Amino acid sequence: MEKWLGAFGLLLTLVLGWTMWDASQQEWKRYQVAYYAEAVRLAQKGTQRDWARNLRIEIRQLQLNGDATVERCVTCHLAYDNPGFKDFPEPLRTHSSILESHPVQRFGCVACHGGEGRAVTTLEAHGQGHITAKPLLTGKYMQATCYNCHGAKTLPPAGTSSVVRGRQLVNRYMCLACHKIDGEGGEEGPDLSTVGSHRSWVWLYAHTLRPQGVVPGSTMPVFLLNRDEIRDITIYLMTLLDSRGRLRYLPLLAKRVAKELPEDKGDAAEEKGKPGQRKIENGFAFEYDGEALFVGAGCRLCHTIDIEGGEVGPSLTYIGLKRDSENLEKLLKDPEEILPGGKMPQLYLNDLQIKALVQYLSARR
Amino acid sequence: MIDIRSLYEKFVRAPMQGAKVMPGLFYRSVFRSTYPGTVRQQLAAVVNNLVLHVHPTRVYNRSIKAKTTFGLGLICLYLFIIEWITGVYLMFYYEPSTGAAYGRILDLNYTIMFGRVMRNLHRWAAEAMVVAVGLHMCRVFYTGAYKPPREFNWVLGVILLVLTLALSFTGYLLPWDQLSFWAVTVGTSIVSYAPVLGPNLRFVLLGGDSVGSDALLRFYTLHVIAVPCVAALFINYHIWRVIKDGGLAHPSENRAPGSDASAQPQRTDSVVTTFPQVVYIELLVFLALTAALMAVSLLFNAPLEEEANPLTPSNPSKAPWYFLGLQELVGYSAFWGGVGVPTILMVYLLVLPYVDRRPVGIGIWFARERTFAITLWTLILIGIIVTIVLGVYFRGPNWNFYWPWENWPGPH
Repeated sequence: MEKWLGAFGLLLTLVLGWTMWDASQQEWKRYQVAYYAEAVRLAQKGTQRDWARNLRIEIRQLQLNGDATVERCVTCHLAYDNPGFKDFPEPLRTHSSILESHPVQRFGCVACHGGEGRAVTTLEAHGQGHITAKPLLTGKYMQATCYNCHGAKTLPPAGTSSVVRGRQLVNRYMCLACHKIDGEGGEEGPDLSTVGSHRSWVWLYAHTLRPQGVVPGSTMPVFLLNRDEIRDITIYLMTLLDSRGRLRYLPLLAKRVAKELPEDKGDAAEEKGKPGQRKIENGFAFEYDGEALFVGAGCRLCHTIDIEGGEVGPSLTYIGLKRDSENLEKLLKDPEEILPGGKMPQLYLNDLQIKALVQYLSARR
Repeated sequence: MIDIRSLYEKFVRAPMQGAKVMPGLFYRSVFRSTYPGTVRQQLAAVVNNLVLHVHPTRVYNRSIKAKTTFGLGLICLYLFIIEWITGVYLMFYYEPSTGAAYGRILDLNYTIMFGRVMRNLHRWAAEAMVVAVGLHMCRVFYTGAYKPPREFNWVLGVILLVLTLALSFTGYLLPWDQLSFWAVTVGTSIVSYAPVLGPNLRFVLLGGDSVGSDALLRFYTLHVIAVPCVAALFINYHIWRVIKDGGLAHPSENRAPGSDASAQPQRTDSVVTTFPQVVYIELLVFLALTAALMAVSLLFNAPLEEEANPLTPSNPSKAPWYFLGLQELVGYSAFWGGVGVPTILMVYLLVLPYVDRRPVGIGIWFARERTFAITLWTLILIGIIVTIVLGVYFRGPNWNFYWPWENWPGPH
């Protein structure tokens, strides 16, 4: 009996050892060690060397959106803001200069690049190897996330070329004969209005390439498309988000008009006096773009303005003639109060967002 | 070269034998005696120890044979303890709010030291506990161990079965992913098929009409405090009653029809002391079980899907597997699946020891005298297993029938 006890005790010890070994295998530690070694080697001055030597091996993360979002990409991609690593291979490579206008501390990484921000292994963070994972966006696919914040108007044409071409292709191949997008189209296939929120680009690409490979027995025909066309259609479909997906981008839609509020109170009060100039939120001064919000908050899913939009709610093209700004403000704050029993959902917008939307809508006359 | 024998003599053997040096003094301060060498000391060792004293001092030799009980009750207890320990570890990190819960689970998986293995252990031990409790119950039934004087301990066992399912089900919601959200939505809708009270019961369970933040908080509180504490009390009671009801069921308790029921049973088989034989076996089962569970937890990850989204139901939405038999029945008749069959099964389990009181087949596997009872139980068991297997492997979108190797139509 003692022998058996000894044997199983040994077995349990081995399994515990295995657990320890498993826990000690941290991919990101290797990258940090490599980065620090390089940083010390590249250091020109003594102060730089001291800085590099004092770096600690630890998980690093960005906390965004009032700490609701945690992104740990910078645990491995340490050199994103270190200009000395321009020629290094990933993950130790300096990020392109777009970070100057899109500071990481405000936008994070996932909003543009996709992926799973909380994970710290390549496999999991880049969303490889699992069906429900969020795969990383690379190259032209990032146009989809650019577009989700900026819309078509504020981006240079090269920045939305694939989205625009994807939409043209969707029209050319008569996708709307079977599929519905934003209330328009046929009933044969599934509604695509929110497909970007439910499918990864890998799924969408594979499905556009050959529907039967992803959905056995699918009646969707195989279109003779080249790779670029499939890619562009995929990118366009990625921009079709549901209200939850759009709300994710809301905090990012706030237009930053000043760097940081001055500490001096008198100065701040003076700033406040200027009409419609600077609003205070999270220590930054923000102003929302009503039109971008209208798209971003998902209003367009139900309402039409001019010719674009859904048909669930009434057209808002001339809404300014029908409701004054006070009424609109109340309506956006609590739809149930103005339209009891109506379909209009509570959107949980903050005061600044409501103000921007009211400004935009009351001007529609 | 280290002399293992002399180390053993110095640090293990000598202290146990009562040497008046430091390790020995400490050993005796804990166990209040030297290592029990004689039978008399071994009997005292059980009585004088807080943990061991729930045992009898001696047991029949057959009690420690594997085929008598397969150690299933003991395994259930160990699994409960493992659940408790890993559960406390998970509680350090978990936050029962709809906004944070899923992120915390991801953190457990991705960054927290031992987080993934602890979560896997907690999950796999929970699933194992449902299975072990079921098997334990079957063992007790097939060996006639619920018959007088053990009928009330059987009732306690039935209560523990319900508590085990309640623990498993309340824990199911906590990861707040698509799988758990829709499984609990479906699981609680089975409750609402009860007549008159059904919808109210569901409302009380969820703290609302649908699964939301109140339901999460309610399930969390039930899962980490209410149900475990009640279960711990009942487990203590259950184990205590085993001794008070005369230990394991023994064939000598059987009576031929018409014989004097009050005569003392004639027991002639040999006994062994609880210490060390039984204690060692129990320790062995613990080591083996823990090692096996940890190995499984290192190799297989507990299921986790995307974050719960009340707007996009998964199709099919399946309840946790142990309720899939009922969901399968709901597919035929909401009343029978949701109310009729569970009620009948519970009543059957609760009255069984009070109806089936004949002192035959006690302590004997599949006794021929109990053919009817055994057949009935086996048929019910097969029914439960078949409906569960149907629900798990043969049901696709809209609860339509599909072979396991068949592809489900539509996007998924």
